[in-house]
Amino acid sequence: MLELTDGARARVRELEALSKRAEDGEEGARKELRRALRESAPEVIARCGGASRVYRRMLAERVAAGDPLAKEATVERAERMALELAGENPTPLEVLLSERVASLWILVELQEALLAAYYYKGGGTAVSVVLQMARLQESAHRRYLAAIKTLAQVQKLQGPSRVQVNIGGNQVNVSR
Amino acid sequence: MAWERRGDNLYYYQSERVDGRVRKKYIGTGEIAELIAHADETIRRTRAGRRERERAGLEEAEDLASAANEVHKAAEVLARAELVAAGYRRHKGQWRRRRDA
Repeated sequence: MLELTDGARARVRELEALSKRAEDGEEGARKELRRALRESAPEVIARCGGASRVYRRMLAERVAAGDPLAKEATVERAERMALELAGENPTPLEVLLSERVASLWILVELQEALLAAYYYKGGGTAVSVVLQMARLQESAHRRYLAAIKTLAQVQKLQGPSRVQVNIGGNQVNVSR
Repeated sequence: MAWERRGDNLYYYQSERVDGRVRKKYIGTGEIAELIAHADETIRRTRAGRRERERAGLEEAEDLASAANEVHKAAEVLARAELVAAGYRRHKGQWRRRRDA
């Protein structure tokens, strides 16, 4: 459930390769990348969005340690956070990136709680275990900050001049 | 920790590490030795249980941290593709608009 389908995986690989070619300045690669994004992005975003939600619930369940109310509260808080981060009239990609930030926020909270629990347990816990927990916590924090940065970069690209147009019931965001 | 048989008698020994070397320490025989051996076994099991719980906890934390790696990486690829397609390029970690974009 948390993995991409083979199709989505192939599309991600194609986008990655095209990005690299375009970044290297290959003629026509950027045009091809735009075409590939138009064709592939909706499917990949939908798949990633679904997996992200499953992941958030999984993390929230662990944070809540069996308390269903605490689990729902964590999920709700993360969803609100994602909504606020996405801002008004977000593109599907902005929604996905905001959701990723929210998921990583729960992961950071969880890793911090686990690490704290090991510290409080005090003597007896193997040093290697505490160190590994600390490494996991640092890694989650780094990924969280990197995800915020990526979201900010994409939002900056959209710019303040973005307008929303509704065509046939579909919301379309257009940069002027 | 081990029992050693000499003739008809069992003798209980504990092992301890001194300056990196394992040293055998004689504890005794009979009822007292049996009580000490029982206590040693309880301590050993408690420690093994705690180690097992720690290992399982760590494994779970690692699994949770990496469970959505593929999805998160895909989101990163999409974001990068979006930026590159819009005419941005990376320069020393910063995204800058290409002159020819």
